[in-house]
Amino acid sequence: MKLVNRHIERDGSGYVTLRPEDDEDMWHVYNLIAPGDEVRALAVRRVQTVSSTGSSDSYRVRVNLSINVTKTTFSPAASTSNGTGQEKDREPTASLQISGRVVNENDYVRLGAFHTLDLEANRDFRLTKQHGWDSVALERIAESTKEGRGAEVGAIVCGEGTASICLLSEHMTVVRQRIESSVPRKRKGGTSGHDKAMESFYKSVYDAVLRLLPYQTLKAIVIASPGFTKDSLYDYIFQQATLQSNKPLLNSRSKWVKVHANTPHVHSLVEALRAPEVAKMLQGAKFAREGLGLEKFHKMLATDELRAWYGPDHVALAVDRGAVGTLLISDDLFRSSDPATRNHYVEMVEAVRARGGEALIFSSMHESGQQLNLLTGIAAILTYPLDVEVVEMEEREEKERLAKEKGGGEDNEGEEQTVKA
Amino acid sequence: MSRHRFVRNMDLDAEMEDDSEQVGMSSEEQARMATSMPIARALLQDVKPPIADAAIADSLWHYWFDVEKAVTWLRKDWERKVAKVSQPPSVRSASLPAKSRNQPVASSSKPSTQPNTPKKSSSSKASSSGANTPKVAASGLTVAQQDLAGLHLDDEMDEAEREREKERYKERPGLNMKQEELIAKVKKEEEESGKQNISLIVVGHVDAGKSTLMGRLLYDLGELSEKEKVSNERGSKRVGKGSFAFAWGLDALGDERDRGVTIDIATTHFATPHRNVTLLDAPGHRDFIPAMISGAAQADVALMVVDGSPGEFEAGFERGGQTREHAWLVRSLGVKEIVVAINKMDLVSWSQDRYEDIVEALKPFLVSAGFAASKTTFLPLAAMEGINVLENNEDTLKSWYDGPTLIDTLDKVEVPARPYDSPLRIPLSNVFKGQTAVASGVAVSGRLCSGIVQVGDRLRAVPGDEVANVRTIEVDEDSAPYAVAGQNVTLYLSGIDPIHLAIGTVLCPTSLPVRLVTRFVAQILVFDLQTPIIAGTAVELFHHSMNLPATISKLVSISEKGAVTKKSPRVLQKGMTGLVEISLRPGQGGGRTPSVPLETAADNKEMGRVLIRRAGETIAAGIVQEILA
Repeated sequence: MKLVNRHIERDGSGYVTLRPEDDEDMWHVYNLIAPGDEVRALAVRRVQTVSSTGSSDSYRVRVNLSINVTKTTFSPAASTSNGTGQEKDREPTASLQISGRVVNENDYVRLGAFHTLDLEANRDFRLTKQHGWDSVALERIAESTKEGRGAEVGAIVCGEGTASICLLSEHMTVVRQRIESSVPRKRKGGTSGHDKAMESFYKSVYDAVLRLLPYQTLKAIVIASPGFTKDSLYDYIFQQATLQSNKPLLNSRSKWVKVHANTPHVHSLVEALRAPEVAKMLQGAKFAREGLGLEKFHKMLATDELRAWYGPDHVALAVDRGAVGTLLISDDLFRSSDPATRNHYVEMVEAVRARGGEALIFSSMHESGQQLNLLTGIAAILTYPLDVEVVEMEEREEKERLAKEKGGGEDNEGEEQTVKA
Repeated sequence: MSRHRFVRNMDLDAEMEDDSEQVGMSSEEQARMATSMPIARALLQDVKPPIADAAIADSLWHYWFDVEKAVTWLRKDWERKVAKVSQPPSVRSASLPAKSRNQPVASSSKPSTQPNTPKKSSSSKASSSGANTPKVAASGLTVAQQDLAGLHLDDEMDEAEREREKERYKERPGLNMKQEELIAKVKKEEEESGKQNISLIVVGHVDAGKSTLMGRLLYDLGELSEKEKVSNERGSKRVGKGSFAFAWGLDALGDERDRGVTIDIATTHFATPHRNVTLLDAPGHRDFIPAMISGAAQADVALMVVDGSPGEFEAGFERGGQTREHAWLVRSLGVKEIVVAINKMDLVSWSQDRYEDIVEALKPFLVSAGFAASKTTFLPLAAMEGINVLENNEDTLKSWYDGPTLIDTLDKVEVPARPYDSPLRIPLSNVFKGQTAVASGVAVSGRLCSGIVQVGDRLRAVPGDEVANVRTIEVDEDSAPYAVAGQNVTLYLSGIDPIHLAIGTVLCPTSLPVRLVTRFVAQILVFDLQTPIIAGTAVELFHHSMNLPATISKLVSISEKGAVTKKSPRVLQKGMTGLVEISLRPGQGGGRTPSVPLETAADNKEMGRVLIRRAGETIAAGIVQEILA
């Protein structure tokens, strides 16, 4: 993404002009735009005129429209790309739609009319935040406009008869295709059914790889499966490549890695990417860090339950006590339509960082982020053990004391710390 | 606070449940039934359409052979049905008080079948002496009415529910009659021939010699021909794996032979004097546990093969070995009896000390895993040499071992009671294309969890909305006119595209399809695990041959000895039993949430068992308590 223009005041008000370039940029933009924000971009609007005689006429005009956002929708792979492995520049496949009311009137569009903007790649748009730019939003802009994007990795998670072909970038895992073919299992009197079905299964995976994975530009391509499927698939792919003398594919051989996974489901990507041979190739890519962070949390939960907390209320308590060493938070939480809620999480991130802690913002487009979402979207590894129940009790007592002092009037802070018993 | 204790607790519960289902009537009760039955029938003589024997028996049982009360209840019930003439009458299962005998619901729906299928009972009724019915009814009415009021029988069920019930019992009549006769016939045949069907799963750590032992057994029994054996010997020698000659009899896949590892379940069968055994040879490698689960879900008895050679037993038994996990798995999938074969005893020159060491190590573990000591048998053997498989012809062994051989032990294993009366359920473990001339077309195989299937039956494939006809039934590679619960069958179907069938599809009667579930509550027992279970843990759910990503979406409670000790806990640690809510995970990028055909354990035990795995470890076993969505 290109930062075309940036005009942000000290108090956080102001606007930026951005030019998204690929799928991942669309994801960043989706995370930046919140309901209530103002977006100005080029739009195509159908205008209808009714003449004095009653005949109507409609035509399209290209106008710059500013809208007050009410809804955003993101879809990671709206169109199937026709990019083959050889092609260098792929068309972005993600699409982002922003609907809202028009705030600037012009000759064609009345004030308050609804419009849905279709943000496109390589086209500028201007974003003004309703509640100002906070640190998390600014960080995202900095991250997304950084030159030299991190690793892009292809992955095939497979088992007998099932395969998912995925593309991973810093912030997104996109399942490009799921292949499922029924493979008869072995039975007495011949295994030809099984062998035939496996052959055709490998073939369809091979075809999908050629069609969907830009293996020339990818940093690495991971084949993950339980058992021996990965070996058989790897052998098949290169045997076919040799037969068809597909030079580019043969040249990419060094980038292909076979990794053990425990299941053929997409969610075992997390463990596959943790494998040392892959981690080495990715060198601290964001999704690898996220996976490790989540693993650390689970390990802590096993070894010292008092140092692994999750759930928004509990984690908020831990942050208040300055106990959080690593904060794991999903970007889903920042997408809240309620600015107060978003602010609450932003403050938590800032508080943790101010105390020298680490705050990992997980992308919910990655499997690790989705797993974090399942754990309420927020978790923390504490620097020292704290018992949830003791803390909750203290909090309650504190609140009662405050309530007594203020004569029943609860202040805002107390409200925020309310915890379900 | 050991894990073992918890294990035992849960299994006790399961055991008790087993018993209650098996309990029939005692002989005394049967006698009472026999005496009160004709009286009740006579009293109800004037009722048209006649009431079925089963319904009379049921109400007699409920009122503990109090003829008067039973008759009153039946009359009242009958009147209610007559009142709604517009629809074919149907008794709601709930209208019989819950206290009634734990009998399949089918019997209480019997009255509705009467108009269409007159029974023999109606003729016998006519001949029996007419008693003064009206008086009895009148005198019993007031008391009975009070009783009934107390039981809330008169409370109207809401309309929707009644419709649902009606829907549920439609189409039953025709099937029912035939089924009853068939069940009786099957039971009689079993008694006469003295042969019972049983499924045996072979489990154990990788390279313990499971396939080899089974290959040897089949060869000794003549199921594996000399010709095949010789060709396997030659083939395995050629690739430098001479010791795999017997295993090749079962490991037929190219990959399996190349790598010398069983990958998928091999199903075959053999017969002992008193048992027809369906043999399921499971892979031992941890990557192929899904296949092993699919096999274990079809088994009644387990044969655990343990490597007796130095160091190997320990490797398989310690953490990371498959021996423990396999034992837990088969137990939680409903296997109650286990035979432990200590293999490769020839490598330790038939040392009695070694044998006893292993037995001592395994015994307490198996008890802790929930196998009763009386249902556990140990035997020393050598698979390659075939010693103590069919007969014990090794002198060194004879000197200290005079117990049974493998085949003798298998001949004596107990056959569990089969739920013939429950609605048919066949979870498919394989879908393929039949290739022989007699049996071509769409073929599926699986085990009947419950019920009975005949040639010509129409079966619904769930998930999906397709109905198939059963063209041929194959049991143990012979065609059969019918198959009953507990048998492994291959069905050849017509009228269905194989695209609608997949491994994991459940075949059911068209009238009583199994529900598709996306969210349910299960009672789980947590095994050895590395990280505890918290709400939101991503897991894989295993149910028969299905394997789906799911999450533990809520921890409801922790219980100990059946009593809830903590509500909404934060974590479940190993060894705990608890109630959790499990939801299937939707696929990425929206789309339809997957669903799994499932029933509560109370409705159908085999369909209500699930296993939960994470990162290649089985972390919990559960039974479905309640279906939410």
